[in-house]
Amino acid sequence: MLRYILSFLRIIATKMLQLLSSRKHLIENVLRIYIKTTSGSTLSIEIDPKYDIKQIKNLVASKIGAQPEELKIIFAGKELGDNIIIEECDLGQQSILHAVKIKRNVPTDQSSSKMKPLCEILDDEMFSSNITNSRSNSFSTDNEVINISNSVMLENSTIRSKKIHFYVYCPTCKDLKQGKLRVRCHFCKSGAFTVHADPQNWIHVLEPKQITGTCENNPELCKDILQNKEPTFAEFYFKCSEHISLGETDQAVPLDLIRPNLKQIQCMACLDTSDTIFAFPCPDDHVMCLDCFKQYCLTKLTERQFWQHPEYGYTLACPTGCPDSFIKEIHHFRLLDDENYNRYHHFAAEEFVLQSNGLLCPQPGCGMGILAEPECTRISCQNCKYVFCRHCRQGFHIGECDVVENNDTAGQNFSCESDMNYNNGNSGELASRTTIKIMTKPCPSCKTPTERDGGCMHMICTRAGCKFHWCWVCQTEWTTECMGDHWFG
Amino acid sequence: MAALPRRIIKETQRLMQEPVPGISAVPDDSNARYFHVIVTGPEDSPFEGGLFKLELFLPEDYPMSAPKVRFITKIYHPNIDRLGRICLDILKDKWSPALQIRTVLLSIQALLSAPNPDDPLANDVAELWKVNESEAIRNAKEWTRRYAMDN
Repeated sequence: MLRYILSFLRIIATKMLQLLSSRKHLIENVLRIYIKTTSGSTLSIEIDPKYDIKQIKNLVASKIGAQPEELKIIFAGKELGDNIIIEECDLGQQSILHAVKIKRNVPTDQSSSKMKPLCEILDDEMFSSNITNSRSNSFSTDNEVINISNSVMLENSTIRSKKIHFYVYCPTCKDLKQGKLRVRCHFCKSGAFTVHADPQNWIHVLEPKQITGTCENNPELCKDILQNKEPTFAEFYFKCSEHISLGETDQAVPLDLIRPNLKQIQCMACLDTSDTIFAFPCPDDHVMCLDCFKQYCLTKLTERQFWQHPEYGYTLACPTGCPDSFIKEIHHFRLLDDENYNRYHHFAAEEFVLQSNGLLCPQPGCGMGILAEPECTRISCQNCKYVFCRHCRQGFHIGECDVVENNDTAGQNFSCESDMNYNNGNSGELASRTTIKIMTKPCPSCKTPTERDGGCMHMICTRAGCKFHWCWVCQTEWTTECMGDHWFG
Repeated sequence: MAALPRRIIKETQRLMQEPVPGISAVPDDSNARYFHVIVTGPEDSPFEGGLFKLELFLPEDYPMSAPKVRFITKIYHPNIDRLGRICLDILKDKWSPALQIRTVLLSIQALLSAPNPDDPLANDVAELWKVNESEAIRNAKEWTRRYAMDN
């Protein structure tokens, strides 16, 4: 009897274990996705990545009371054909598919490529060449670039997956990640949208209104936008492929200059060939590996050699001096660590103030940006309450500014009697201020304190936005007289 | 001291295996970032026949920053001052990490063939080069004979 009970228990235990392990197996393969319908409802369904679209249609149809044949499944700007397997679609957990009910049962004349998901159609080589910034280039040049990369690809096609790699800065992961391309209606922002053509390059993806499409969400409204008879356009955006989607607003910034190194180009700095590269926006394929790019940014940041570009912001160009090679998407500088990215922001703000003819408060530890009327010489800092003279940056005074002699001992030659705040500063600030005063002379143009650590008397302002040529002796613009009289002091 | 970057190792190896004609650059035994350089005076220049010693140093953030190069041998040249400092744009604001030790030294050799008195560093030399070129060239030859030959 006991033996019978024991064997019975054993059987139960084994069955339970089997059940548990099979369930575990099931859970591993489940993809939870959302289906948005045009009626506005969202279904949450669990599917096997091995399902095809036909199975999805059956699942959805039963839930919304429609026939599977009446449904279109749209994902990333594409209507997915019945034979597409979910696995092929670059879907992550909690991705959103759109189910649209076809009103008239007209057989669609879509080509087979259109029925494939976007990620299967886009090739890496389309996006790897530097054709984004050369819009003025003739078409033949573009084709040439593509042909070159195609021939290289042929050799590598056996080893290399052709699946496109996009890189993004993900604000959720706070890091560089691989990204996924997604599409929505430019007008109503709905994802129930199909593109009329596939994007062929970065211009199509990054610039607005490049590719037209059909909005399934609100076809009547979006068909001809605002009676202008303009069809609606695709709006491309990116998601991080490494965290579970946090909904439709969870987006990432495309870093279009970071690319897979399909052409196997050497980094110009370390001469290594790495898999992922930063491609400068110049026609000559100047690239750096990501580590060297970070180092390049850091060096240029420390030297204050970033440029305030009127359109793009505080940015860098190709280090070899290629024309018009400024980095447009300044989120590329997110590759800097947090501390240096904060410095980047700080310097960018300062440069913006200076280029707007503003001033920075000279008080150590303050540096507040101040935009004052050009004729106003008495500048008052709202932040630290320091009141100073626009011209000599010393405490405000009446009458001429004193010329500060470089070799003077600390604090002797202050021009102003009314400088109340100066003595209020703590000793550290006082010491730095004194040191700066002894060691440096201001650039006659932008007043940047400048130290001369050797060489001739010909100074070039170190601030990238200034670059004023001046004479260390005269403290005015550098002239041939300076060269003749006291070039070397 | 930090490990020597692969870029410097690669460049050094290439300088040894495929030296640039007329230029030798040998890293110092105790400091692989410091190079002893000898540039031969180019043919058909006042520096022909001379062997010019230079020192070249790769700073910590090379190749993001330019190498520091200086003539040790005295030379009469409008773009090189009495301390041997060289006025060459690629050593200053035109530096790019795509340039290398070899390209820098080639540019310096080219500067010996084509002095540029309009962008001078040694003013007196430049002045003479502009006013009385033949006398300047005579001086340059004399200095080459006196300082850059024999030893």
